[in-house]
Amino acid sequence: MKQIIRITIGLVISCLVAGAVMGGVFTVTDKAKKRNEHLAVQETMLGLLGYKDAKQVPADLKLYSIYRYIITDGSGSQYLGYLVPVAEGNETGYVLLKLDLQGKFISKKNIDISPEKAREAPERESALKAVLKPPISFRYADEAIVATLGKKRLAYLLPGEFLGFKTTIKAMLALDPSFGIVGLDILEHEEDPGLGGEIEQEYFKNQFKDKSYDRITKLKVIKEPLPDEYKKYLEKSKWQKGAFSKEQIATIRKKYQDKDIYAITGATISSKAVTDGVKGMIRKFAYRMGKLEAVIVNEKIPAVFL
Amino acid sequence: MKDSARHLLMGAALVLLVVLAGCRTEHRFVKKVTFEKTNDIVITFAGPVDAAWAKNVDNYTVFEKEDPDILLAIKEITLTPDRTKVTLHFKNALNQSRAHTLMIKDIISEGKSQGAAVLTVKKLYLGYLFSILIGAMLIHNFVFTKYLGLCVFFGTSQKRTTAVGMGITFTIVIVFASMLSWFMYQFILKPIRLDYLQVVVFIGLVSLSVQAVDTILRKVNPALFKAFGVYLVLVIANCIILATPLILADKEYNAWESFMLSLGAGTGFLIALFLMSCVREKLELANVPPTYRGLPIAFIVAGLFALAFLGFSGMAIF
Amino acid sequence: MAVTKKTNKQLVLDGLLSENPIFRLALSMCPAVGISSSVMNGILLGIAVLFVQVFSSCTISLLKDYIHPRIRIPTYTLVIATWVTVIDLVLAAYVPVAYKAMGIFVKLIVAFAIITMRLEVFACKNPVVPSFWDGVGMGTGFMFGMVTLGTVREFLGTGGLLGHDLIGTRPLLFFILPLAGFFCVGFIMAIFNYVEIVYKRMKRKRSIAQ
Repeated sequence: MKQIIRITIGLVISCLVAGAVMGGVFTVTDKAKKRNEHLAVQETMLGLLGYKDAKQVPADLKLYSIYRYIITDGSGSQYLGYLVPVAEGNETGYVLLKLDLQGKFISKKNIDISPEKAREAPERESALKAVLKPPISFRYADEAIVATLGKKRLAYLLPGEFLGFKTTIKAMLALDPSFGIVGLDILEHEEDPGLGGEIEQEYFKNQFKDKSYDRITKLKVIKEPLPDEYKKYLEKSKWQKGAFSKEQIATIRKKYQDKDIYAITGATISSKAVTDGVKGMIRKFAYRMGKLEAVIVNEKIPAVFL
Repeated sequence: MKDSARHLLMGAALVLLVVLAGCRTEHRFVKKVTFEKTNDIVITFAGPVDAAWAKNVDNYTVFEKEDPDILLAIKEITLTPDRTKVTLHFKNALNQSRAHTLMIKDIISEGKSQGAAVLTVKKLYLGYLFSILIGAMLIHNFVFTKYLGLCVFFGTSQKRTTAVGMGITFTIVIVFASMLSWFMYQFILKPIRLDYLQVVVFIGLVSLSVQAVDTILRKVNPALFKAFGVYLVLVIANCIILATPLILADKEYNAWESFMLSLGAGTGFLIALFLMSCVREKLELANVPPTYRGLPIAFIVAGLFALAFLGFSGMAIF
Repeated sequence: MAVTKKTNKQLVLDGLLSENPIFRLALSMCPAVGISSSVMNGILLGIAVLFVQVFSSCTISLLKDYIHPRIRIPTYTLVIATWVTVIDLVLAAYVPVAYKAMGIFVKLIVAFAIITMRLEVFACKNPVVPSFWDGVGMGTGFMFGMVTLGTVREFLGTGGLLGHDLIGTRPLLFFILPLAGFFCVGFIMAIFNYVEIVYKRMKRKRSIAQ
């Protein structure tokens, strides 16, 4: 009997010590993890906008997030709720714009949250709960980032995901203010290495660059071999100094600007999945942004990106 | 053995019941709504509907459940001669893996109004569950495509009887352990934000369930215990049994999906072991060069199996 | 108690070669096949295993007088799982990209037979210092195995090492497919066997000649 008690006490103490060690490490690493994740996302975004390292980034480049929520009221009808950053003097605050499904303005509410806190989903939720009281319920839909340079709107950055050949592919898109593609980056995927995995290579994802909005709506995948000069042009990180003159870049760019997407050899389905996914993302975003922008202008919302 | 067969049957019946209950639509006049081909949705009504009403595009509103503000454009509507089946052809291909909402305005049948309907169109849930099972068993086979559980795999695949015994024992324990861990994670660890304790808790639960299966089997069916008891110790050394709860926690599966995935993982391991043991029994008789005898040739055979299993990759069922 | 008589250097060398956990003991094969497609993966997982092995060995050898023999195995598991959680959290926080590449395997270190085995046969019978060196030996042995596999596969598959292009072409794309790990491990094991066979033959010849 005495033995059993000794064993139990021993085990309990070791469990407590182990728990304390793990808890301690968790509290230390959790903050670092969040910060590093945020930095990694930021780096991807800046990379898409063409800034290779932090030194090149101009001081007046700002990134603002718009969060979209779907709000359901007591009777079951649905509304869109946009959490839009607005200028409050020198500070940035947030307002919640409630739109009906056709994009008509319903109401506007100030939300008490700072941009740093708005990055955390639980913080946003509790701030929204203060305004949207039951029986109204809401759920998070997506995020879009507006990049501004000084007073000018530079680009939109869209994180998104779509179905690939095997599992979902996570991607980030950069669009110019008229919804043409500035850049595409594949963040996560589980396609086969060497085949579908090639979607993360520059010679594939850079093909989407410079396509205009009208062109994207009709974009297809073609099963033709990728021309050599185009491949060299696409693999920008492998460029040696002086490999292309400015005129050459301009001619190649013009020549292939309106081409469809060349499929990866042996991975037509993955190529098609990415193309369709990108098309879907842009179509939805352009539609929503149009509606939201009209509301912002009509209601004279002091949004930071105007 | 008879008892377990009965239990299995009962379980299957229960699954069917749940699925059938899920099949009924939310409106009494609409019998069925299903996806068809890539661009179509087919609505089956309980009686003949008014042709003029049915062909009016304005009577239907369709959107993906997650995106209620983006309406999908209907290109054309066709009606069967008996006027009970309406097919909506859409302009763009539908993303059929997501649930769609279909709103129908005031259904008119034989001049009488049957009221409006809000319906959800989605793929059969049973099909989805089945695809998880087959996926874990063949397409994402844990041994040949995820490269897990190899120590036990190479250790117990020398003889066919051992392989089958190990496979069955493992399947029972993994289902038990995964369900236990799933419950623990979803209802205890996640709500109090202790999910970083995953590894410790899961390995504890796995040991616990091995012990539990050991005790239960010994009491309930000593004959079975005699046959399979020896493998129970090995089960805990197999990393699949820890990987499955981790995957379940990562993917946020619900109870049925978790059950299917763990069952698939177990049977997938059984299949892999059985295939491998068949080959290795033959290899005993073959003249293998001395340097390759034993493990090296087993690895190369496993590589060939993995190549074959690569053929399943990307296969979509349902 | 069977306290070891080997020197620290011998302990490390044993782990590296004659008791190499991957090629000789054939334990912890899963990562050897699954994620040995690049040298970097091998190094990082090697560091993680080294860390867990060394810390668990030291912990157990420090506590060996207080552990009741009947709860030996649960205590080992608890100690290993704790250190695995620690390294998992640290890697996830400071090297997120590499952590993603290693996927579930970091958490699965807890199920590696090699670590429990070393605790059972070595650390619970020996003082801290030899246990430390034994842990180092086993950990580096594992890392050595992973790096060897990674070098072969990355060079043949992509024609480069550590992400740098060396020869400009891809000799055999097949080798970076995950399943090529099976073949690589098989071939390298065969080489180890061959060396052993030749060595034994030479020894026999020498003894006959004498």
